[in-house]
Amino acid sequence: MKRSFLRGAISVFSAAALIAAPAASVAQQSAPLAPPAATAADPPPRPAPARARPDPSTDEGGIWGVADRAEEDARRSAERISDPGLNAYVASIACRVAAEFCGDVRIYLMQRPFYNASMAPNGYMEVWSGLMLRVEDEAQLAFVLGHEIAHYDARHSLETLRAMRGRSNAALAASVAIAVIGAAAAANSPNSAQSIMNAAGGLIDIAYLGALASLFGYSRENETEADAEGFRRIAAAGYDPAAPARQWRLRIDEVAASDFERTRREEARAGVFNTHPLNRDRVQALEALALRAAAVGETGRARYRAAIRPFLDPWLRDELRRRDYGQTLFLIERLASAEEDLGVLLFYRGEAHRLRRGEGDLAHARAAYESAIQHPDAPPLAWRQLGEIYERERRAAEAAALFRAYLDRAPAASDRLLIERRIAALEAQAPPGGTP
Amino acid sequence: MIKALAAALALSACAAVAAVEGPYSAAGAYTVTLDRQWSDISAVMTQRPRNVRLLSVDGPLLNRLYIASAIEPGQFLVKPARREAPTPIFRADMSETELVEFVIDSVAALGYLRPESRNLRPDLFGGREAVRFEIEAQTPEGLAFSGTALLARAGDRLHLILYLAPTEHYYARLLPHVEQVFASVRFQ
Ligand SMILES: [Zn+2]
Repeated sequence: MKRSFLRGAISVFSAAALIAAPAASVAQQSAPLAPPAATAADPPPRPAPARARPDPSTDEGGIWGVADRAEEDARRSAERISDPGLNAYVASIACRVAAEFCGDVRIYLMQRPFYNASMAPNGYMEVWSGLMLRVEDEAQLAFVLGHEIAHYDARHSLETLRAMRGRSNAALAASVAIAVIGAAAAANSPNSAQSIMNAAGGLIDIAYLGALASLFGYSRENETEADAEGFRRIAAAGYDPAAPARQWRLRIDEVAASDFERTRREEARAGVFNTHPLNRDRVQALEALALRAAAVGETGRARYRAAIRPFLDPWLRDELRRRDYGQTLFLIERLASAEEDLGVLLFYRGEAHRLRRGEGDLAHARAAYESAIQHPDAPPLAWRQLGEIYERERRAAEAAALFRAYLDRAPAASDRLLIERRIAALEAQAPPGGTP
Repeated sequence: MIKALAAALALSACAAVAAVEGPYSAAGAYTVTLDRQWSDISAVMTQRPRNVRLLSVDGPLLNRLYIASAIEPGQFLVKPARREAPTPIFRADMSETELVEFVIDSVAALGYLRPESRNLRPDLFGGREAVRFEIEAQTPEGLAFSGTALLARAGDRLHLILYLAPTEHYYARLLPHVEQVFASVRFQ
């Protein structure tokens, strides 16, 4: 993890050196275009923080400073999900499980298709869309938030920092250097995403956050403690005590469904960085806690699905771009098991099969699109994609009819001219009303 | 660590950047005519495929013109950094809209956010049937980017010219020259 991360940072740096002058000028150009510091996504006024800012001359003050800079990047990022309703909803869950830190924790929702939640020592937390697609209900999200807040509460990052410094000053110096270099170089270069992909998947500020993560790679003891504390918090808040074990188990099972052998072989993680390693022991410990609790709590499943429903379409589009169709299909089956949002979910099941294009995939895609268009929430593209499959299968009249249905549903479609041309060609083969 | 960084710097300083103008061959299959000077900065693509060239005037952050020739089935426009993070690959059986999707997903793989195609239309690529479209995207810092692409299938190969630049100021400034490149394609 660390080695590939170093490589990524170096290649970014060399690319940036080559183009230093334009990088500087684009930085000036883009500054006024960046989102303003205060946006609709900023949560409503909250209680005062429970934890005082540490003295900057201390080691704790030092890591707060690094975290402040990372937070500023997150605040301005175009990947930030600005929807006020969703932001308020997630913040309210954090306050429900950790009322005493309601004024300390600032959550930034990011549209990134990876499973990740991370907590910085200054109270800044990121929760990514890839995680929000994968928690099944409010209780599971509450547990993830409670787990992260437990790291904050117990100052685990400071503990890690001190342990690390005891072991090696050089390693710490290197990771801070990477943070600075990586952030400076990556900030202006979309192309750098490729080079940094090694770290975790095509994300511009991964170098920066990755350096933070190397500071915050919690010990297994810290993880076990955060699980137990997260559990205690959600149980006290009246959530379903079975939710924590279920979420971690789902995570492990999804990773096992990956298309990639190396991913399947590696330990599942609750974060894209080398943090929060997951294993069966942690699941079993949470299952034991749930058995002992024996109380019934709420899952908040319907409320949670309603909150993320408007985002299923864009988040699943991002998800497909990871091109790990084993994991994506596992995710879609989980989402579809509630028998809701089937137009969107069946459409994306079809998309995953169409893009994977393995043995039998186009037939699976056809079946999924055919089911999707039976549901009122199917996106217009479902009709076009099914039309394309029929066109491949030389079912000209049916293909033309589906293309027409697509254009009826999406009159402003960007591909209207091309689709109209194909309708004309198909109808020349099979005139409407004639026998195909 | 410091040594490695210094080595990387030295390497980039001598990476070849050639000024190009006039007839320009895109790795064999066709030529274009450049009506102004561009820099061939293909060398900045550390892992570029052999048949993809990258030109720019002001540096790759401000304008980039990809000229790709005869992309083969199984080939990518953007090389993946590792096996577990694959980038889009071209397939011979892609439909017209899937070819556009291949370009848009490749733009996403370059690190641009939420790329979308606009105004797809029939066009010509060196006299051959082609598809032309525009692109809208953003950088992670929120800078708006625009693009335009012209692509044509040739048997089981794909020819593609793709232009990307910040929407404000830069995109429009070079667009007439890019149009001229599109119009100048000649097959040998
Ligand atoms: Zn943790």
